[in-house]
Amino acid sequence: MSGNAQPSIHGPLAGVTVVELGDGTAGPYTAKLFGDLGADVIKVEGPEGDVSRRRGPFPDGRADPEASGLFMYLNSNKLGAMLDLDSKPGLADMHELLGRADIFITNIPGKRLEALGLDAKTLRARYPKLIVTTISPFGADGPWADKLGDELVTFAMGGMAYSTPGMPDAADDLIKEPPLHPACFVAETIAGLVAAEGAMAALLGRGRTGEGCHVELSQQAAMASLQIRDVMTASYVGSRYNRLLNPVTIGRMPNFYLPCKDGYVTVAGPMEIHWDRLVETMGNPAWAKSELYSTEIARTANWVALRLKLIEWTMTLTGDELHAFAEKSQLPIFPFYTIRRLTEIEHSRVRQTFVEVDIGGKQARMPAAPFKMRGTPWSLRYPAPRLGEHTAAVLKDGLPA
Amino acid sequence: MTTARSLHLPLEGVRVLDLGQFIAIPFCTLWLAWLGAEVIVVESRRRMTSRTAPPFAEGREKEPNASGYFNHLYSSKKSVTVDMTTAEGRDIVRRIAGVCDVMVDNFSTGVLEKLGLGYEAIAAISPSIIMLSNGAFGRVGPMANSRGLHSAVNLFSGVADVTGYAGGHPRLLGGVLPDPLSGTYSGFAIMAAIYHRQKTGQGQFIDVAMHEAMLTLIPEAVIDLTMNDVEPQRVGNRDRVHAPHGIYRCQEDDTWLAVSVKDENSWVAFCKAAGHAEWLNDPRFATLDARRMNISALDMAIEQWSLGQNAHAAADLLQRAGVPAGPVLRLDEMLDNEQLNARGGVVSIDHPVVGPRRQMALPWRMDSLGVEYRRAPLLGEHTREVLTELVGVSESDYARLEAGGVLS
Repeated sequence: MSGNAQPSIHGPLAGVTVVELGDGTAGPYTAKLFGDLGADVIKVEGPEGDVSRRRGPFPDGRADPEASGLFMYLNSNKLGAMLDLDSKPGLADMHELLGRADIFITNIPGKRLEALGLDAKTLRARYPKLIVTTISPFGADGPWADKLGDELVTFAMGGMAYSTPGMPDAADDLIKEPPLHPACFVAETIAGLVAAEGAMAALLGRGRTGEGCHVELSQQAAMASLQIRDVMTASYVGSRYNRLLNPVTIGRMPNFYLPCKDGYVTVAGPMEIHWDRLVETMGNPAWAKSELYSTEIARTANWVALRLKLIEWTMTLTGDELHAFAEKSQLPIFPFYTIRRLTEIEHSRVRQTFVEVDIGGKQARMPAAPFKMRGTPWSLRYPAPRLGEHTAAVLKDGLPA
Repeated sequence: MTTARSLHLPLEGVRVLDLGQFIAIPFCTLWLAWLGAEVIVVESRRRMTSRTAPPFAEGREKEPNASGYFNHLYSSKKSVTVDMTTAEGRDIVRRIAGVCDVMVDNFSTGVLEKLGLGYEAIAAISPSIIMLSNGAFGRVGPMANSRGLHSAVNLFSGVADVTGYAGGHPRLLGGVLPDPLSGTYSGFAIMAAIYHRQKTGQGQFIDVAMHEAMLTLIPEAVIDLTMNDVEPQRVGNRDRVHAPHGIYRCQEDDTWLAVSVKDENSWVAFCKAAGHAEWLNDPRFATLDARRMNISALDMAIEQWSLGQNAHAAADLLQRAGVPAGPVLRLDEMLDNEQLNARGGVVSIDHPVVGPRRQMALPWRMDSLGVEYRRAPLLGEHTREVLTELVGVSESDYARLEAGGVLS
């Protein structure tokens, strides 16, 4: 796999050393974001390996801890060390790595960290300049500190389940359509990203104070803190609205998610000018000029009927036809894309939205950088490590220059 | 309100020019401001960012200082009113950019360039500026000029392909997530660029595409498709590997319980706590493979149980038994959630027009660094301060600009 490795280029975080003791998505994703920007990241795994090594997707579905797609994605641009932290030498090696690190990132349970003497309090005392980044389901204190949480539970308790399907979509039936979690790691990825932002802030802060920091993140709070649009509504209007379509949740009209001839489109025309353009695009139908729909207030009051009127129109056209209209008149109408289509379009190729990787001998594509820094471009410097691939190297030779 | 003034703020001394609108960029700079950056928002009566957007404080509809949308997103920032449709106004904005470390926008692609405020123009006067530009489809590529709000981004990003009820059509993830998610990536990218600039003196341009931010949520589906040609599936709340993994209906209307069983120990604990030890010997549920095979029957059996439960009490019961579980919280419930509140995760910020209002605080804590939650600015509150003290506009020029309507 080292054939994939490219010459090291200097990212914006070149020279920063990160040690990760992570498992699953959240902690490993924080460390990946640092590795993607040029930091030297050493991922420490126990003899059993990170849990995502056992999750896949695997080439042709054949389980192989060295060819799990999720693991390969979350752990690229890292070096890997295998340490048995329950043994004295393993723990000593861990401290050797921590002694050289700027940032430590972990999402393993607090109780386990305490048992190993790797809890934040101990590490902050022993390594005063170290930035200790801990991620836990609900945070290190408070009545839920010791409760069990994971992707689904923190997603639900961070408000995202209740708001999905979300604006301008909504549940069609409160019983048949429960609050919804998508088939992916939303809460964990967001926790990983937010922890990276916290650790990055602490790194800049250290430049000023010379002091390390404990960055202590609750995954539930990370999820909740991104719910700003719905929380502001609760805070100002105080309304308890249900999950069905209604003007409070849907915002300014028209703002709809509608079926079309061959799929689904979103029609978002929140401003007066959007409505005027939409009416023109529909060919100025008489109904649109009636006082039932001529003002934003009227459209909000008559949104149920308006929705049906719009569906009559969208069902006569394909998603691409609707989108073509939209492009011409600068209207926010957009069709659903499958992941397959997204991987095939020119826009993705030009932007290098995906990167080719080798997973257990099969070619695959993964998401590349989510932002493009022109001065310090992203690259896949090296693929995810095999279990313990760099143990000797990082301990004996020190870190790569 | 945790305003720890004795501690340094991580972004003290960083100045940001904020030309953001909607949620993505204002959300990005909200956290930067809380972390200590001086965020200068340029708006005008012609372009009042989100001040015209609901929700408003009761009885104060359409008042520019009473919008919850604005007051939540602009906490701790400064408001400068400059009319960018005038040449003099644009010149003022260029001069503000000249004394900033960072400049951010999420206009439609090309708008900033037309105003003479694009990266090339600003970098010519301030070479080490860090400019971050956030667009629905990014600033490069054949679709860079396409328009789209969060719902379009959601549909384009691939996330909708794995969001939906079993066998049903694609659905939209809530929380207008493409906005705050791309805003969070933007904040991280800006801080990394600041770090790089501190080391090298080099500024740069950063291109953020909201759909690429969303794409980071679905690596498994992308890889399975491109490696194995496996089409993404919508499976409701089920997991590809574990079972049971679901959100189950409880006793009161529209109340729900999330349950996630990841190993055999918690399966045993779950059955016993739910009073259904017989499921352990039921051949349909005895092993993980069997449970996955009979997932519909399993989900139905669990819902028969959960329908007799209060969501919060059932979560406590399962947690005590060692099963990851929690109630589905509504957005209004989150403001009162005891765990978030116990950790300072909800902050109340007072405001002269709308009074104290609660919102979500930064979701992480720092033991050696501070954060600062201040109220959102009134419209144009800092125009004089920024123009005369920061960019050196003379009193006489200020009076002339003001009289000419450039500062309205």
